[in-house]
Amino acid sequence: MTSFVEKEGMTRRQFFKGTGILFVSAVLTGVFAKMGFDVQAASDEYIAKRAAGLYSLDESMTLRKSHLNPEIAQIYKDFLSPGEVKPLTAKSERLLHTRYGSEIPALIEELKHPAENEAA
Amino acid sequence: MSTEQVNGKVLKHGTQTRTMHWLHLVAFCILGLTGIGFYWDIAGIANIFGGPANASLVHRWTGVVFTAGPLLYILLNFDRFARFIDTIGSFSKEDFAWLKVMGGYLPFIKVDKVPAQDKYNAGQKMLGWMIIIGCILIILTGFPMWLWRHSISAAFLNACYNIHFWTAMIMILLVGGHFFLAAIHPKSRVEFSSMMIDGYIDAEISAHHNGKWFAELQKTE
Repeated sequence: MTSFVEKEGMTRRQFFKGTGILFVSAVLTGVFAKMGFDVQAASDEYIAKRAAGLYSLDESMTLRKSHLNPEIAQIYKDFLSPGEVKPLTAKSERLLHTRYGSEIPALIEELKHPAENEAA
Repeated sequence: MSTEQVNGKVLKHGTQTRTMHWLHLVAFCILGLTGIGFYWDIAGIANIFGGPANASLVHRWTGVVFTAGPLLYILLNFDRFARFIDTIGSFSKEDFAWLKVMGGYLPFIKVDKVPAQDKYNAGQKMLGWMIIIGCILIILTGFPMWLWRHSISAAFLNACYNIHFWTAMIMILLVGGHFFLAAIHPKSRVEFSSMMIDGYIDAEISAHHNGKWFAELQKTE
């Protein structure tokens, strides 16, 4: 039986092609890494600008803290905790706190019977 | 061509090539299976590997094998790699003629004689490029998702996930097609044993399927 075997080694052309593919792969890796770093830098820059914008907006406001807002204090005095400014009462908890997910069916039931909730 | 030569054998794939192919195949199957499990949240697949957390670990470290295997092969067999790239990077008139008749694989294209091919036919050459490009994309997007997920930007991470997923989907289809042609299709399943078992293929088959390459081997004898 005769066995045919490829001649080992490589020609100059094969060497350059092999090296070329490795080089292109290395360049692609570099380009991809560069894209990653660029997107990262752009994200950081955007986040920094957005944070600066929010801080400057906040600094320009006359009223910056909700507990020092006279209108909020008045709502507590008149309605949420009659006669005083007292946070975290049952009423303020029920009306001001957002409810999510599994709490929603109970909220719907509450909204269906507003009179009972008023009493609470 | 003498009868003795026709009845002879041709060494098509060396031991290291076959080892690398096996290693890459097993790694690819594990990666594909665990990846599909993650993407569609299939508990049955994750449980094979001991739950989602372990499946994730298996996916990552198999990814290391998937990357290191070919790199090590190229390092140890640069001449083989260079010859392979040369072969799949050379498209001749015969290759385009082969593609026109789809190598005679499609029943509705009548072909009297399939054009003589190199060590790899035009379809295998195209598959070779797609596998190389696919592997590079999968590797380049996979490692940032593992190692730098907490420090890279959400936009870049999202791009990595999308590229990784779609490349993997295309690769799974390509490998499926490759398996069908190399192991099941009656015209070419003889290729299976040469890559998966002993590396040899009948000279007669090689003379028929890879005529140009076989003629070169005869010249070097």
